Amino acid sequence: MEFMKNGKRIDDRLPNELRPVKFEVGVLERADGSCYVEHGRNKVIAAVYGPRAVHPRHLQEANRAIIRYRYNMASFSVEERKRPGPDRRSIEISKVSREAIDPVIIKEFYPRSTIDIFVEILQADAGTRSAGINAASVALADAGVPMRGLISSCAVGKVDDTVVLDLVKEEDNYGQADMPIAMDVRTGEVTLLQMDGHLTLEEFEQALELAKTGCARIAEMQREALIQKYRGEENE
Amino acid sequence: MRKKEKVDKTIVVPGDLLSDDAAKAAEGTYTENGKVYSLIYGLADEREKIRVIPLSGKYLPTIGDVVIGMVSDISFSNWKVNINSPYEALMHISEYPRRIESSEMAKIMRVGDLAIFKVIDVDQSMKIELAPREGQLRVLRSGRVVDVSYTKVPRVIGRAGSMVSLLKDKLDVNIFVGKNGRIWINGKAADEELAVKAIKRIEQEAHTSGLTDRITKFLEEEKHGIYEER
Amino acid sequence: MNDVIAEIRKDYIYGLAKRSERADGRAFDEYRPIQVEVGFIDKAEGSARVRIGNTQVLVGVKLQPGEPFADSPETGVIITNVELVPLASPSFEPGPPNEKAIELARVVDRGVRESGAIDLSQLTLPDGKVWLIFIDVHVLDYDGNLIDASALGALAALINAKMPSERYGYGPDAALPIKEYPIAVTAVDLDGEIMLDPSLDEETIASSRLTVISGLQGTLAGMQKSGTGTLSVDEIVRVVKLAGSKAMQIRDDLFGGSTNG
Repeated sequence: MEFMKNGKRIDDRLPNELRPVKFEVGVLERADGSCYVEHGRNKVIAAVYGPRAVHPRHLQEANRAIIRYRYNMASFSVEERKRPGPDRRSIEISKVSREAIDPVIIKEFYPRSTIDIFVEILQADAGTRSAGINAASVALADAGVPMRGLISSCAVGKVDDTVVLDLVKEEDNYGQADMPIAMDVRTGEVTLLQMDGHLTLEEFEQALELAKTGCARIAEMQREALIQKYRGEENE
Repeated sequence: MRKKEKVDKTIVVPGDLLSDDAAKAAEGTYTENGKVYSLIYGLADEREKIRVIPLSGKYLPTIGDVVIGMVSDISFSNWKVNINSPYEALMHISEYPRRIESSEMAKIMRVGDLAIFKVIDVDQSMKIELAPREGQLRVLRSGRVVDVSYTKVPRVIGRAGSMVSLLKDKLDVNIFVGKNGRIWINGKAADEELAVKAIKRIEQEAHTSGLTDRITKFLEEEKHGIYEER
Repeated sequence: MNDVIAEIRKDYIYGLAKRSERADGRAFDEYRPIQVEVGFIDKAEGSARVRIGNTQVLVGVKLQPGEPFADSPETGVIITNVELVPLASPSFEPGPPNEKAIELARVVDRGVRESGAIDLSQLTLPDGKVWLIFIDVHVLDYDGNLIDASALGALAALINAKMPSERYGYGPDAALPIKEYPIAVTAVDLDGEIMLDPSLDEETIASSRLTVISGLQGTLAGMQKSGTGTLSVDEIVRVVKLAGSKAMQIRDDLFGGSTNG
């Protein structure tokens, strides 16, 4: 399959182009904070409950909150219906996603409590863990959780020997490399990094630069969405 | 269509740069390399110091706060009280004004009862202790209770109590606003309903200006059954 | 955890009920605003997002060829599952479906199956296979009355669904053979007062709950009583009649012309 033709990708994007992204803040009634994201054909919703009491009690930490993150895919989110429940992939993604956001949360403000983050993938088209992290960051802000900054995430990869930003499903499945990344854009600190495929050192450095621009654009959108929610509330 | 209401402060998100002068940092901010950044999603308020007023979040009690709590459980020597915080609060049996037996506790306050409490202690691990607000334990047996975000309590009370006085003035009700965002309203049923509606509206529009006027208008219209064509 | 409701709130709701009123101002037989959006998950064969008030559920219908049950080789298969994901409520915990989720799934399934909504005999495929229809209900926001929202979502998603025949080389894609339009109507009993479409508080306080699923002609396709309270025969008959007419109304409002023929 040919992935690059006349400098354009299979969905007509340039190598450094993100798919269209949309954020909606505060979309759920029961959750303390929530955010719905559409990223290309991905449809993802994140909700935050907390800080709240930890059950079972033995999980709590005496002087700080614990952070729990659950990434889950709906059965109908993928082409071949997925059996409900966590599989090994979801468990790994939950772990690295949690570790991506944990560093910016001021956990010391809430000893003996938990901040629970739930991400549901309603429709998947590659890049769901990034979309989930982006939604989760906004949901945490919406819930009033104190953080040093928002975490923004995107994936870069390689197709037909070209380093590209934000892989679509076919590029992810048949491409030469896939590298999701998450960072606090303001400080440039990377909080999530995974890679599989093959990249030369040069290509990796290129990919990093591309990822930084991608995350920066996401960060702008996250910020804008939070500000819009508020402006929207004014215009009853 | 209602006209756009003016917001008089800047909305900020975590990580937003607020100032190059670290000395100006106040609540809701943190400093890094001499600069001040926002810690939360809120409204930046700049006077001598810069603070960020939260738009959401959970109530954390401080000693001296007066709150409305709901009994969620009774143990041998404590009433466990839900005060809408990540932490459960306890009122020890000895805090009750007269000496009682453990078996009498449920008669005084049972699960599901609401009462007004004072926070008498909060320790490092957020263990919270309550006592009756002053002398007598005030259990709320009538009226209605409404929960708002604790962040909106100052707006519900108003500068020097102006908003809550307005409500008590225009309506035939008694209102008690707990620091934890739980509000008790007691009076004539129809007026209780209007108070609840007004409070929910204050919560929604807390960040806008001209709110007091709009609430006054709302109460006057509702009380006199006049409905403006919108 | 969050299950204790303040006594004065309970008193308030019961007090209103005695005066034929409800906390949100609705009449006893009035539903909160219902919104149905089909095709929300375009990658699924069929989907619908349903809102009743703030309650929100997303239903996806996936179809794939598979083996029929040994005792009914010419019949398509329906598999219904409900996920009460923790994001939908502070009281939902992660884990396999608990008794509430299972009951909900089975009631929705019963409504679809017993009403004959889908003509399962028309789902046979070459080489002894049949279409397997997966109905997956993903609850997003729990604010009372998940049953009606889920049942409605399932129906709307099934109507929206296309059998992906092309993908498997069975010919052109086609709509599912829909023969009935079952609508679930749920009522709760608050100290003798019966009301439809319970809000979260009403559902939590009520001693019992009765769901009635009916089809186009008012035929009863499914019923489920839930909760530890009791209902008299009179009350049950009252609910069944009320539910029947309400179901007609809802069906007309949402599916109007499409239910003709």
